[in-house]
Amino acid sequence: MTARTADTAATDAVPIIAARGVCQEYKLARKSLFGQRERLAALQDVDFHAMPGEAVGLVGESGSGKSTLTRVLVGRERPTAGVMEYEGRDVWSLDGAGRRQFRRSVQVVLQNPRSSLDPRMTVGVSLVQPLRALHIDVDPKARVREVLEQVGLGVDVLSKYPHEFSGGQLQRIAIARALMPHPKVVIADEPVSALDVSIQAQVLNLLKDLVAELGLTLVLIAHDLSVVAYTTSRVAVMSAGRIVETGRPADLFRHPTAEATQALVDSVLTVEKGLEGSALL
Amino acid sequence: MSSAAEGAMTSHELASGGGPVPTGGVGRRVLGNASLVVGVVMTVALVAVAALSLVWTPADPNLAAPADRLLPAGSHGHLLGTDALGRDIASALMVGARTSITVAAGAALLGVVLGTISGLTAAAARPVVSESIMRGVDILLAMPGIVFALVLAATVGAGVGSTIFALTVFFVPSFTRVVRAAALRVLAEDYVTAAELYGRRKVFILARHVLPNIFSVLIVQFTLYFAAGILTEAGLSYLGVGVNRPAVSWGMLLKEAQDTVGVSGPLAIWPGLAIVFAVLGLNMLGDGLRDVLDPRLRKRSS
Amino acid sequence: MTTQTVLDVRGLVVRRDDLKAVRNVDFQIRAGQRVGLVGESGAGKSLTALAVMGLLQPGWTTEGQVLHDNVDLTTISDREFSNRRGRTVSMVFQDPLSALNPTKRVGAQVSWVIRRHTKVTRDEARARVLDLFKQMHLPRPEQLLRAYPHELSGGQRQRVMIAMAIACYPQLIIADEPTTALDVTVQKQVLRLLDGAVKDRGSALLMITHDLPVIAAMCDYVMVMYGGRLVEQGPVGEVFRSPRHPYTKGLLESQPTLDNIELEGTTRLPSIRGSVPPLHAMPTGCPFRTRCDRATAQCEIVPELEGDTSQAACWHPLDAHSPVVGA
Repeated sequence: MTARTADTAATDAVPIIAARGVCQEYKLARKSLFGQRERLAALQDVDFHAMPGEAVGLVGESGSGKSTLTRVLVGRERPTAGVMEYEGRDVWSLDGAGRRQFRRSVQVVLQNPRSSLDPRMTVGVSLVQPLRALHIDVDPKARVREVLEQVGLGVDVLSKYPHEFSGGQLQRIAIARALMPHPKVVIADEPVSALDVSIQAQVLNLLKDLVAELGLTLVLIAHDLSVVAYTTSRVAVMSAGRIVETGRPADLFRHPTAEATQALVDSVLTVEKGLEGSALL
Repeated sequence: MSSAAEGAMTSHELASGGGPVPTGGVGRRVLGNASLVVGVVMTVALVAVAALSLVWTPADPNLAAPADRLLPAGSHGHLLGTDALGRDIASALMVGARTSITVAAGAALLGVVLGTISGLTAAAARPVVSESIMRGVDILLAMPGIVFALVLAATVGAGVGSTIFALTVFFVPSFTRVVRAAALRVLAEDYVTAAELYGRRKVFILARHVLPNIFSVLIVQFTLYFAAGILTEAGLSYLGVGVNRPAVSWGMLLKEAQDTVGVSGPLAIWPGLAIVFAVLGLNMLGDGLRDVLDPRLRKRSS
Repeated sequence: MTTQTVLDVRGLVVRRDDLKAVRNVDFQIRAGQRVGLVGESGAGKSLTALAVMGLLQPGWTTEGQVLHDNVDLTTISDREFSNRRGRTVSMVFQDPLSALNPTKRVGAQVSWVIRRHTKVTRDEARARVLDLFKQMHLPRPEQLLRAYPHELSGGQRQRVMIAMAIACYPQLIIADEPTTALDVTVQKQVLRLLDGAVKDRGSALLMITHDLPVIAAMCDYVMVMYGGRLVEQGPVGEVFRSPRHPYTKGLLESQPTLDNIELEGTTRLPSIRGSVPPLHAMPTGCPFRTRCDRATAQCEIVPELEGDTSQAACWHPLDAHSPVVGA
């Protein structure tokens, strides 16, 4: 069963994005020519939602199904069972205009900033791509300037190529691109795990500011509980294709009930514990 | 599993090594690469000689002069001597260079264009289409290329056009494979995932993201197949199903020299040297370009 | 334990043409000591390790001395070096999948290291590998001997790497980001095994990572590297509790920790502004001065490491009595 505890948001409001009873199965390759194709259940009866303006975290170790759920949430994969909703409507039964609206409103920041920008495109060209692709009728130059200011970069970046930037700057640019079409939801998949420690803090702060200033909904996917806890106000813990626990980060830390949460909490190393000599116990 | 799922999984990169790597710049890498420099010089020389033959040759390579039969190299008016019918060898080699370049570069170019189309399709299309293309490629690759070209030339008829055609058919399957592999690598990148998520169509992604990023692969492959084309064309012409007089080809010159090899060895040596020169130059150019344009490729293909 | 020095690095410079990635680094590691080398990407920490192991990519050259076991590792031949690698000094890499030979069974690979450096029969070597695998808590060790690297999980592969590294009781083990590529829940287990293995054998450990908690858990001495220089070094407790270099303090503060959760939603993590400049744009003088709030004109001159038990290379060091952690 799916545990849903401590839902902070009002229950009568409509979540901006929600997976309801989502299951996802993959067919594995045949082991022999005429053999049956085995099925892998990557998600089993998953309920997950985010309210407008809310920052929600999704944690779990690799293989827990959080990547699969991410692909379902961004509309890349159609779940084999259950419903993926945007503003209360099934994403997969939307008409063309509705689908475009969904594409535009839900944007993604991926893990690896080095590969999330085309090395042969200048940053300026990369930034306007979403506007072109989604046929959004705004002045691209003004929008680019606005977005760059929001992520704390100058217009001098526009004529440069990705290899001229550090990882942290590239992740800012990737966030800027996600902001271009005025999204309502930003889904960030491990946005800091490829970055240096001092840069991680910058990017996490930026995401936090964007949620506060632009009223964005943030879904932050990470394997590191402390990263998620710092950025979000509600966290869902995944294990073996299910959501096993949901709650406020501080509660999850202090009183983890699910085994998977306990394992994640235990795995967090801190400098203080290390100095006490208790880190590896 | 779908290519989308694969893409999301291969994007995992390790946390360190994220900083900008100082590279010496393209200019420095070009000059530091001996193979590339030598390759460029040899290839430019080859093309220059071929171009020169359009406006000037020491003599008409098809003009027989029985009085000047089998002159040795260094004879007056005949830098490399003459053949059994007294035709100027240097002139024949110059015109032969032109034929080699036309046939080999033409076939390589056609091969790249067709191979790119089929390779990109195989990389991006639905599994049914993709599998069909790749199995077709397998079938074509299973046939010995030279035999295939022989049969083709024999049925279509010998000549520059049919040789190009035969070589193209011979090249397209390998190109398709190379392009598909390179395109799959690009399609797995996060910027392609991002483009799909903001609603870009497959065709746009192939044209604007994949093609520019595999361009260096195409250039390198073109150069290497250019060299292979010269070799194969020479082989076909030697066997008599390629180019024939009044056109001149190095392979054809070799065949002619075969009859007189007992009388005059150098006759066979000159076209042989020309082939070695051209192929070596292009291969060095290709290897050099590969190192400069795409250092990652070097490890993979060697 | 004696206080014999197992590694003495003097004036190490690693450069590629005019670009110096490691600039004049000195440090010693005594027998049984556990030293952490911490820094961000581009700090030069991995190049330092590769230079010590003689595994630099072509194009990189070194200056200075790397003394180990009474020989200067920078002057010996490749042949002599490979005779030592795995025997007196060994290395655990970040990515075990690319460090292991994909076409050979893992048991044979560990066994090969043992048989190369010690005179044992095939069966004795196999028995020792089996012991090592058991020590590493690898499941079904007999079967795992015959497994290929791709058949193992990331954590298992890294445990095989550690088994290989400790197989010949080396004086020094260099671990370069050994847990970065692993899942968080596996990280602790692998660190614990590495910790135990190093302890059992009395080997010295040089732990290279960007992860401060890992250093705190594993090491007793830490060196902080930035822009190719050591900017602070000292006993872990001293450096992490009261850092004197602004960079060290910045690194410590920018860690998201469990303590921040109390303040959820309201705090911002302190962060170091800007990012590590690329090598060719590294400032003269103190490498950190372009990102440092305390920088003055004096910082255009390179500061030396100064201090008693812990040393910082800074013209304007922080007061040693302003604690950071747990504040």
